[in-house]
Amino acid sequence: MSVAQPALDTLAPPIQPKRWRENLQIILASRVATIGLALVLFWVVVGLVSIFWTPYPPNSSLFAQNQLPNSTNWLGTDHLGRDILSRLMAGTQVILLKTRLPNRDWVIPGGVALWGVLGALAFGSFLGLNAGYRGGWWDQVIMQTLDALVAFPAIVLYLVIITAFQRGDLVVIFAIALTGTPGIARLVRSLTLDIKTRDFIRAAETRGESAFYIMFREILPNARGPLLVDAMLRVGYAIFAIGTLGFLGVGLPPPDPDWGSMVNDARRYIFVFPWGVIPPSLAIASLVVGLNLFADGLREELARYQK
Amino acid sequence: MLVNDCMTRHPILVSSTLPAAEAQRIMVEHHIRHLPVVGEGKRLLGLVTRQSLTIKPDTLASLNVWEISRFLATMTVERVMVKADQVITITPDRTAERAARIMTEHKIGCLVVVEDTRNLIVVGIVTETDLLAAFQEMLGLPTAGVRVTMRIPNRKGEFAKIASVVAAQRWGIVGVASYPARRIPDRYDVVLKITEVGPEEVQRVLQQIPDQELIDIRTVA
Amino acid sequence: MQAPIADPVRSTHASIPGPGPVLKVENLAVAYKVRGGEIEAVHEASFEIYRGESHGIVGESGCGKSTVAWAIVNFLGPNGYVKRGSITFLGQELVGKSEEELRRLRGDQIAMVFQDPMQALNPSLRIGDQMTEVLTVHRGISREEAEARCLQMLERVYMPDPANVLRRYPHQLSGGQQQRVVIAMALLNNPALLIMDEPTTALDVTVEAAVLDLIAELQRDFDTAIMFITHNLGVVARICDKVGVMYAGEMVERGTVEAIFARPQHPYTQGLLRCVPRLGMNKAESILYPIRGRVPPPNARPFGCVFAPRCDYARERCLQEKPRLRPVATGVGESVSEVRCHFAEEIDPGRWRPTLDMELPMAAATSPASPDTGEALLRIEGLRKYYRVQGNTLRDVLGLGEKRYVKAVEDVSLSVPKGITLGIVGESGCGKTTLVKTIIGLEEPSEGKMHFLGFDISNGIDKRDVRLIQELQMVFQNPDATMNPAYTVGQQIARPMLRFKTVSKQQVREEVIRLLKAMRLDASYYDRLPRQLSGGEKQRVGIARALASRPDLILCDEPVSALDVSVQAAILNLLLEVQRQFGTTLIFIAHDLSVVRFFSDYVAVMYLGQIVEIGPAEAIYAPPYHPYTEALLSAVPIPDPKAQQKRIRLEGTVPSALNPPGGCRFHTRCPRRHLLPDGGRICETETPPWRDAGQGHRIFCHLPLAILRTLDPVLTTPSHEA
Repeated sequence: MSVAQPALDTLAPPIQPKRWRENLQIILASRVATIGLALVLFWVVVGLVSIFWTPYPPNSSLFAQNQLPNSTNWLGTDHLGRDILSRLMAGTQVILLKTRLPNRDWVIPGGVALWGVLGALAFGSFLGLNAGYRGGWWDQVIMQTLDALVAFPAIVLYLVIITAFQRGDLVVIFAIALTGTPGIARLVRSLTLDIKTRDFIRAAETRGESAFYIMFREILPNARGPLLVDAMLRVGYAIFAIGTLGFLGVGLPPPDPDWGSMVNDARRYIFVFPWGVIPPSLAIASLVVGLNLFADGLREELARYQK
Repeated sequence: MLVNDCMTRHPILVSSTLPAAEAQRIMVEHHIRHLPVVGEGKRLLGLVTRQSLTIKPDTLASLNVWEISRFLATMTVERVMVKADQVITITPDRTAERAARIMTEHKIGCLVVVEDTRNLIVVGIVTETDLLAAFQEMLGLPTAGVRVTMRIPNRKGEFAKIASVVAAQRWGIVGVASYPARRIPDRYDVVLKITEVGPEEVQRVLQQIPDQELIDIRTVA
Repeated sequence: MQAPIADPVRSTHASIPGPGPVLKVENLAVAYKVRGGEIEAVHEASFEIYRGESHGIVGESGCGKSTVAWAIVNFLGPNGYVKRGSITFLGQELVGKSEEELRRLRGDQIAMVFQDPMQALNPSLRIGDQMTEVLTVHRGISREEAEARCLQMLERVYMPDPANVLRRYPHQLSGGQQQRVVIAMALLNNPALLIMDEPTTALDVTVEAAVLDLIAELQRDFDTAIMFITHNLGVVARICDKVGVMYAGEMVERGTVEAIFARPQHPYTQGLLRCVPRLGMNKAESILYPIRGRVPPPNARPFGCVFAPRCDYARERCLQEKPRLRPVATGVGESVSEVRCHFAEEIDPGRWRPTLDMELPMAAATSPASPDTGEALLRIEGLRKYYRVQGNTLRDVLGLGEKRYVKAVEDVSLSVPKGITLGIVGESGCGKTTLVKTIIGLEEPSEGKMHFLGFDISNGIDKRDVRLIQELQMVFQNPDATMNPAYTVGQQIARPMLRFKTVSKQQVREEVIRLLKAMRLDASYYDRLPRQLSGGEKQRVGIARALASRPDLILCDEPVSALDVSVQAAILNLLLEVQRQFGTTLIFIAHDLSVVRFFSDYVAVMYLGQIVEIGPAEAIYAPPYHPYTEALLSAVPIPDPKAQQKRIRLEGTVPSALNPPGGCRFHTRCPRRHLLPDGGRICETETPPWRDAGQGHRIFCHLPLAILRTLDPVLTTPSHEA
């Protein structure tokens, strides 16, 4: 780095690509994380492709019903004669890539699972930071409330929320966020309890920094690693949850396909046509396993890296 | 002096699975003649001596050239050692002269020092060399000084005379020994090592003790 | 008359050719396999240890001391292995031995004591169960007999109330007691070799002194060979017969302790000795010379002599050719040291002069105002800090129980004049950190007044004015925790400037870089992240951050105790320079009395929440002493084997601050109480008076000054050759 000193203001940016490369190296160092990442990336690519192209329109019944895989329909057709492959591809979108706003045809980027987990992250971090950093009554009240929330089975919560509101992407997001909050809050609280004993927090306090500055600027960035890993796992759970809701018939609204509803639809014909449940089930499983592998590998690698 | 003070602590210990050739190497390299063999927890299993490593001529004669090398390669310490029940041991709280007595009685060169006579836990060994070293120390080696031998009558209070004379001169004694005078009845020879003083002065002072005879004086280092 | 048969020198083994060494390490190299290659932690180490000898291994962190020890007991972990060389233990080669054989050797003949005693103790088993297990499992000794032996051994290591200790769990003992238990356990097997890895580093000085005495005594009694690993030269001087100095994975010098300290042959050893303050040195008269540069990481060691890049005598040959360990006569008696240096004979440390690029404080500090005349920057009166303790009983939970308090700081009064350095010393738990936290506002005082620049600061930081907050800043102990790992150096130093608006936004960057330069770090550090810095560099950034708001008073909480000695000297010099340049007042907490003596103008000694003695530094370190100060001073390990130190050891442990003794708090352990009539009955009942010894030197003791003055100085050093 003995190149002529660049103007000081332009020094900062070049760090970013270097950090990215470093992070990528960390992931590639672990075989587990690499496999996980490949699985996840596969589904992201499939979803992206499906926005522009699917073999057939996913919602139109163009073929004979309940076909096994053949040369025209690579994964067969469902009970309404729709191409399963096309529906499977399009089903990725709602989970990972787009959220449909109610009553309008507007769509915002980012799937239901992602927004749900982001919501849980936001709530959970806020509550966990306050509970951990301020301690005392704050801690008691926040954590007891969250514990009360955990006492309800998640599935009951989903059903309560969705019956209270209507079906819709936003409601599902809210349900996922709410059920994810306690776990993340607990994680953030324990990280905060650890980080707040470090001297740099004392240094901030001796500068008379506000509690919010210390929580969000000093503590939160250091909780990033474990939080990221946890969020990754939670995206997996969220996909499961969406599938479950779809299976129960209260998930994402039709007509766009989602994997859970596909399993549910096919389930009704399972004795007549068992094949129908297999592709969407495998899709859910592979994406969730991919996310889990990725998160596990990353955690292991991060732990080793920090030493 | 007790065995505890003159033994060699932390002797080299070997396990019973060690090849005999390796035991031989250790003994040669470290100039030692005895290797206690121990098991778990330093419990005595046996003792290897240089004699036990010599192969008996009749055994040797019964083997042909090929067999000899295999015989040697497979021979472990366990097969050549004196078994624990035949090894003569002593505990650290016995006296050094007792150890010497046992060794002369059995005509052996080494006693294994064990703690806990039931489990035989090895804490050290006493060899002839250790006892000879103790003997030197008793006579005041390695401190330099004047070594003087007095012949005194076998009577109470004779030694006290020497002691009081030395004390009056404020000299220090670093070694004392006494034994019955050779061939002269009723006399004892006392050897003293006195430091930080010249032989002439010692001679002058000690010669004046009545009934005693100064029979030898020399400066030793 | 002296005892007639009196030659206590252990000359017996010297005169008679004894058996070979207990441990012989030859050309040892140890490597760890890591991602993308391997790291050779130890490159070349050779030494031997005989029966009854204690062999010190010294060196800075990361030079491979502990790795050598782990290699001997085969604790290298799954990715470490012995790459070259041999380790011979009692005539048998250890390298390549089977796991099973090594395990048995370790159990029966080699014992190890670590820095943290809890590493060796099982927290869920009673002490008695753990200790007897050693004997019952391997030796088939009956339980009753084993228990008797353990009891005997605990008595042997001077454990108070041993029978009771056997029934307790490890966490119920103090650190010093735990370490005694570990040593007792190690000795139960009567090992031939005892490896001690920084066994006293985590202990307070008075406890450390007692444990070191114990080790020296046991070594004589059990004829055990001791391998003693430490970074503390003072400890080595006190306990070792021979010393090996390690640097960057190599043994660079080895010799008797007298020779190493009196005539160090290797430039690194010489450098090390120049950078530790000796008790009695002060900043006005002497200078600490740090070693420039830093220890190279294992994967970037220089090709030739490893020390060449930091050596003042390095020549062409040092870069080209690796020196071998070779014997050199030292001139101390007939002793010969082994030295890894091409030019050892030509180097005369007496003629050494600091090079120009060395960080040295400019001029000696001018003598500061005395606390009575000078303008007081900070004035504290009758400060108390109590913490409420929550009990566990039902009554406590319901709020009915008696309210109990930890009396962390009790009735402290002091005043700090502008521009001076006040050192606060005391053992852990004496309340020095609480005092500092209360001053800076992290804790609110329970009682008492504090004035800073005439303003009342007897409240927490959130009630203080921003201008006041800005004037009080702090430097922390642990370099790894002092910086936020998520931000760059520049961002962290800039933050106080932005917050207190000491400079305009456009100039922040410039100002940060100026500060970095003052800390002798160049502008490229601006964008570095903390994990890219060494410990010393992090500490420099910590100081820069404290300085960024241009405070009047900086509180330093053990700023150098976590650093290696060569770095420590540089940081101390830096702080001196800062003080000279910015006129900052410093309050300096440390447990190392030599460092405090060197660095401070005034010193306060604390015991159990109270200041027991305060005054100018030179007055504290000479009679009259408070009995506690006297005990502390006599416990300090001095890096000079010839120094004569009085031997005063405190008995018992520090009483609990929850229920401190009445009267004088030190009376339960005071070794000088008997000098008072009636055996010091008065100490138990009445609070002692402050005795004024002049020049602001005050002692909190019942003993009249006339008696205190008659006590001999703790330390008498034979005059040093220049």
